[in-house]
Amino acid sequence: MSDDRLERLLRGYRLPNVSHDLDLRVLQEGAAILERARHRVTMEQVGRTVLLRLGFGYLTLLIDFVTQSDAEYRVEFL
Amino acid sequence: MAQDQDLIAGMLRGEAAAFADLYQAYRTRLYQYALSLIRSRMEAEDVVHDVFVGLAKQVGAGRAPRELSAYLYVSVRNRCVDRVRRKRTLSLEEVSVELFVAPPGDEERIELGRLLHRALLTLPAEQAEVVVLRTWHNLEFAAIARLQGASRNTVLSRYQYGLSKLRKELGIHVG
Repeated sequence: MSDDRLERLLRGYRLPNVSHDLDLRVLQEGAAILERARHRVTMEQVGRTVLLRLGFGYLTLLIDFVTQSDAEYRVEFL
Repeated sequence: MAQDQDLIAGMLRGEAAAFADLYQAYRTRLYQYALSLIRSRMEAEDVVHDVFVGLAKQVGAGRAPRELSAYLYVSVRNRCVDRVRRKRTLSLEEVSVELFVAPPGDEERIELGRLLHRALLTLPAEQAEVVVLRTWHNLEFAAIARLQGASRNTVLSRYQYGLSKLRKELGIHVG
């Protein structure tokens, strides 16, 4: 049996489904976390508007620079 | 991917629908990947849960992953590695997980699937990982190499050795 044939054979099997319970847990917790984040974003926007109106717009750029960062991840070995 | 970036942007705005779409897009792949590493349904589900909740927390705090797919795969792998280190190695007889599913009603495929499944579980962990990621997840060898912290050539060899052992195992039983 060639590599290609074996690969096709393997790909003919589908991935196993996750449980409905996992779907519920993840979606409910994720939605709650993001809801809190949405409130925070709304409050930040109000704060930015106030700063801009008061003539401190440069402060919003400084806040973005300090708070925005990438999520970190690293590889571990088996 | 552009779609991933759109969904992350939606999550940064606090949209639960964007998170749900992202979860739907990755859940079965990440679950199978975790299952192949940890070989326990309950623990694989816990890992997937922790990874997505962790993602929601990161993005909710304004920290977005630059490459979502790489972030998710590395997160699953690291969590599984931590758990595998803490538990004893299970014998083949103790493992009862389904890494892939045969089409219902196709008896020949189902029987062949049992052989393939057993053969896949007997492969060394790194080889089984490459076979799973390449075959069902369509990841490039370079991406798998970054994930395993190995060279592309090493990963390619692991894949070829893995397939060769699967073929041998099938040859013994099938023909």
